[in-house]
Amino acid sequence: MNEKVLKVMEKNRPLLSDVTNEHVYHCAKCGLCLDACPVYREMLTESYSPRGKVQLAKHIIEGDIEITEHMSDILFSSCLLCGSCVAACPSGVRQDVLFSSLRWRAAERHGLGFTKNLFFQVIAHGWLMSTSAWFGKWVRKIFSGPWIESRIKFGNLPVDGIPPMNPKPFNDEFPEIVRPEGVVNARVLYFHGCATNYVFGDVGKAVVSVLTRMGVQVEIPKKQSCCGLPIFLSGDRKTALTCIKEIVGMFSREGVDAVIVDCATCGSALRNEYVHILKELRDLGEGVDDDLVNSAEYLAGITMDVSEFIDAHCDWLPEFHPTEGEKIRVTYHDPCHLVKGQGVGVQPRHLLKLLPNIEFVEMEEADRCCGGGGEYQIEYGEMSARITNRKVENVLKTGAGIVATGCPGCSITIGAHLAKDNVKTIHTVQLIQMAMDGKRPE
Amino acid sequence: MLREETAKKLREIVGEDYYLDSVEDLISYSYDSSVVEAMPEAVLLPGSTQQVSAIMKVANEDEISVTPRGAGTNLSGGSVPLKGGVVLVLTRMNRLLKLSRENRYAIVEAGLINLELQNQVKKEGLFYPPDPASWTVSTLGGNVAENAGGPRGVKYGVTRDWILGLKAVLADGRIINAGGITAKNVTGIDLMSLFTGSEGCLGIVTEITLKLLPLPPFQQSIQAFFPQMDATSKTVARIIGSGIIPVALEIMDKVVMNMVEDSVHIGLNRDVEGTLLIMVDGEEATCKQQMSAIIKICKEEGSSDIQVAKSAKEEDDLWLARRSAFGVMSRKKPTCILEDCTVPVSNLQAMIRGTSEICDKYNLTVGIMAHAGDGNTHPMIITDKRDKEEWERVEKAISEIFQLTVDLGGTLSGEHGIGTSKKPFLPLIMNEDARRLMVEIKSVLDPKGILNPGKFIE
Repeated sequence: MNEKVLKVMEKNRPLLSDVTNEHVYHCAKCGLCLDACPVYREMLTESYSPRGKVQLAKHIIEGDIEITEHMSDILFSSCLLCGSCVAACPSGVRQDVLFSSLRWRAAERHGLGFTKNLFFQVIAHGWLMSTSAWFGKWVRKIFSGPWIESRIKFGNLPVDGIPPMNPKPFNDEFPEIVRPEGVVNARVLYFHGCATNYVFGDVGKAVVSVLTRMGVQVEIPKKQSCCGLPIFLSGDRKTALTCIKEIVGMFSREGVDAVIVDCATCGSALRNEYVHILKELRDLGEGVDDDLVNSAEYLAGITMDVSEFIDAHCDWLPEFHPTEGEKIRVTYHDPCHLVKGQGVGVQPRHLLKLLPNIEFVEMEEADRCCGGGGEYQIEYGEMSARITNRKVENVLKTGAGIVATGCPGCSITIGAHLAKDNVKTIHTVQLIQMAMDGKRPE
Repeated sequence: MLREETAKKLREIVGEDYYLDSVEDLISYSYDSSVVEAMPEAVLLPGSTQQVSAIMKVANEDEISVTPRGAGTNLSGGSVPLKGGVVLVLTRMNRLLKLSRENRYAIVEAGLINLELQNQVKKEGLFYPPDPASWTVSTLGGNVAENAGGPRGVKYGVTRDWILGLKAVLADGRIINAGGITAKNVTGIDLMSLFTGSEGCLGIVTEITLKLLPLPPFQQSIQAFFPQMDATSKTVARIIGSGIIPVALEIMDKVVMNMVEDSVHIGLNRDVEGTLLIMVDGEEATCKQQMSAIIKICKEEGSSDIQVAKSAKEEDDLWLARRSAFGVMSRKKPTCILEDCTVPVSNLQAMIRGTSEICDKYNLTVGIMAHAGDGNTHPMIITDKRDKEEWERVEKAISEIFQLTVDLGGTLSGEHGIGTSKKPFLPLIMNEDARRLMVEIKSVLDPKGILNPGKFIE
């Protein structure tokens, strides 16, 4: 085939699947997403708004404009893919689906950049990750120190506020099956994600400890890879597909009561994102078959956030006993991928209110994005900082000493920015563990 | 594209960051919440009245069309740049300049978001009544330009009723002040009324002085469900006729309610034909007295089920459901045409019934919603603009609905404005001399016709 024919074929190849395309036509342009969008609220410019990008998507789909480098920049720089617009949209438009699909096509045209490419290859392959985690620790040890750390900033993220790596990957610390003492109430698979494996090992330990004491048998499959979300949200669906296939194969298993996730982002990947990505790839003939889609749908149906699972079975929790001393004031931050992505917000609050030693206070705008957005805060530090500052202000106004949340990404962002104010960020499940142990959170 | 020398002058006024002309930015300012779209040649985001004035001087000299815009949530095409030129966006001018508790007024810049003001004044125990459904995003400048209303209009009227004064930039860049900060003011012609609802065709309002009220100490909302649609409008007429003035009195029909429930899941009754949402406010004892009288009328008219909001959260849910009604209609079909015909309350029943019959005749799906207490109906026809045959039927139905409105002593728009979509129907309601007077007024204020051209004054 000559080059010209190839070009024509390329041009006629549909950009997105029909199902994805239809979303742009259901946008009533009512503008209610503008208020929900953390970026629009800072920029007040329509092209940075969800409505603006949906209309731009329409022009792209209809062939009026190309995905230029500027357009690509809009898709990446003006959106944390937090899903706030999806939650606010009365017309049911899935902006997240649309924008993530367009990022895929944008990345195909304009590339990912060397750092992202390398990073994704690393996190997509478990062994690479453990090697690089070791390397990262070594680098930190060699080059760290109060002087240098207070001067380095990754975008919006103060380095000295970033938690250190686990001494050993979490997955290596437990056998594949952890059985409870006594009666087995349920059997679950635990997907711990990269953050727990390499950084927040204590969260993983808390999950296992709390669940087993509730009579739950926890199975932690070995060699779990990344959920793929940071990869496909950056547009690299090809690399992400290897992760998705591995995870679906490993966790879409009959005979278990649930797949438990402790990370809001991983949870929303397993529950929300896999199915539509796989369907779109299937519809566009990109090497995905019906079996894989069906398995992903099954997995989506059994996946639960850890706080949601514990709350659903809170009658299995032992009785808590208050310890001496004043109650500690705790507030809760809703991770976007948990409250908007999975509709989980009531459950962690209910659990926190059950705990002794804790005075629960609600912060203003608890369900507003923290500005982190994974690597967004590194690449688009200035915008991220504006959104984060608002979150920090809202936390400080409550006078709480602890922010409970359910997402390692939010924990890093909020934690790093609140370190100087002596406010700690902690996973909800860790507070439950402390209450079970009769320990006071500090 | 603008001529390079014009562009250069405009860039110098607003600064590089606030002069946008990439194709992506132009597309992003080519629409509002209506179905009309048109591309501008540049987008300007000025930061002060002085900058707006400087822009208008250049635009007037170089004869460039200027379409002012707030958040772009109007439903009549008012902020679409039909003749190209520049879109002048006021969202950056969003400061609350002054809040006076003792004299109960606020001075705001045009880009301040309605709900932001509501929240700010509430902290001081004050209250700004106009509450368009888009209040989480729409700007007060836009509210003035469209003379926006909202559910609370039954008791509190529309935006015009709350303006004490304003600052506006004329087409040639002159800046005028109208009104003041006093509660009473009959000094000179009422220029505030001239600019309010002028849809950016006469000048650009950059600052507004708004009258405030003490925050009502109590409010209560109920939802009453009816097995027949006719009973809802009959109940409305009886409530209004009884001398009670509720804050809001809204009708939603079965189609709207089902779609709202699909979106917000708050347990709306899906099987009844019509529902009334009613709010009263004031002293607690008075509210309760009024509410029991209202409930009595609802029951007498056959309401099958009445739910009283028991908490602030339940109140919020009820009204959130109402505010999202326009957006939810796009779930079933992509395009939603929302009309704004307003009739005397006693003719509401005939208006609603007639609208349904017209839509049935043309085999169209319509959801009916109304700020019933002030006779302001919002029929929402859902369609797919890509379906040409159906679109023709929609246009025929709309013409007939307008004719019906006029026959019932009503008017084309209660709160959304004329913009582009209702322009052809103006002769139904205004005689030739009245229309000519509007054109004459515009020609004095904007002799070159550069302000929001192509809209209703032509």
